[in-house]
Amino acid sequence: MSERAGQATAWVYRGIWSVLVEWFVVPREAPTLPVREPGELCAFRPAEGFLRYLKFWFWLALLAIDAVIIAAWIATFFIDWWIGLALAAPALAIAFVPDIIAYVAIHLRYDTTWYVMTERSLRIRRGIWVLNELTITFENVQNVRVEQGPVQRHFGIADVTIETAGAGGSADPHHRTKITNQAVIEGVADAASVRDRILQQLRKSKTAGLGDEDDRTPPARATWTRAHLELLREIRDAALALRKTG
Amino acid sequence: MITRPDPILLSYYLVVSLLTTVAFPFVFLPLFFKYKTLQYRFDDEGIAMSWGLLFRKEIYLTYRRIQDIHVTRNILHRWMGLAAIAVQTASGSAGAEMTIDGVREIDVLRDFLYARMRGAKGETESSDRPVAESPPVDEALVLLREIRDELRRVSSMRGPHA
Repeated sequence: MSERAGQATAWVYRGIWSVLVEWFVVPREAPTLPVREPGELCAFRPAEGFLRYLKFWFWLALLAIDAVIIAAWIATFFIDWWIGLALAAPALAIAFVPDIIAYVAIHLRYDTTWYVMTERSLRIRRGIWVLNELTITFENVQNVRVEQGPVQRHFGIADVTIETAGAGGSADPHHRTKITNQAVIEGVADAASVRDRILQQLRKSKTAGLGDEDDRTPPARATWTRAHLELLREIRDAALALRKTG
Repeated sequence: MITRPDPILLSYYLVVSLLTTVAFPFVFLPLFFKYKTLQYRFDDEGIAMSWGLLFRKEIYLTYRRIQDIHVTRNILHRWMGLAAIAVQTASGSAGAEMTIDGVREIDVLRDFLYARMRGAKGETESSDRPVAESPPVDEALVLLREIRDELRRVSSMRGPHA
């Protein structure tokens, strides 16, 4: 029974996806970035834990909101039995239809979030109704931040936020579709390794950030070679010989 | 290169304005004149964008100063093959410095901008190369050789006299 239900939901979900792809022009495949060598590109998604994390909040909100709606509905029975019965269909619809939509939306959000990294840059795509693709180069990164709340820690995920010097706007993380200077890689399991990879790229470049780019002359090297030393020795010998003769 | 937005941008503005129902004339007129006057100029160094009938605006930014590129496409954009390509520099303004509207070659334009951004041109590689290469003739070596020869000559000249 549950297996059949699982198959049915998978089928429905695929149907929703094909509607999105066909009618709403949602790209199905991962975004790409121009690279020099094909092996450089690394595309990844949030971790499985991120899906469970989103669902945790979903169930919490569902319990809180539906408890209120159903309590209000039951209360109408005390006014009049018939009013309660008449309100059964709308009350249940108000309680459960948004839940189903939200549940599907969580899955869609998870499946449409992509992070693509190369040696030099990062591209993040997210969104269904409004698709937002952000591209930054590591050369422009100002700071890298890793954040993890208690609930996120329980699900083993963390957010890595990369900031450029672009327009600040509000630092409110809930308006992520807005154009900000932040690239949020949310819900990754190995936040430390993602951060380390970014920092490694930052260290490679000498001019990262808004730093001074003119200071590029290489340090002066000692230019004495073997031939110089040989000649200097000969000069010394010649001078010695001159003293002896003089 | 692109100098004018695609005509479909006007249809996009029309639909967007229609969605506001009663506010339609107030929303559509400014957008209509924006479309009519919108001009892009891409040169070797940067992009210039100008629009406006009564209040004219012109923005110029250099490719090198681009901090990040946002490509935002809502459903209408996707149906019409458009996108809003927002380009940010490091100035402190609250929004994007320039939003390029009405371009159909989105990926081409984005790759074009990306390839000219700092950090994407492979500048870090070139900066490791020494600026001045060692001169083909080592002047110090030549000078030292001359001094040696002169000293030898002096000592050989003095030798017989002593």
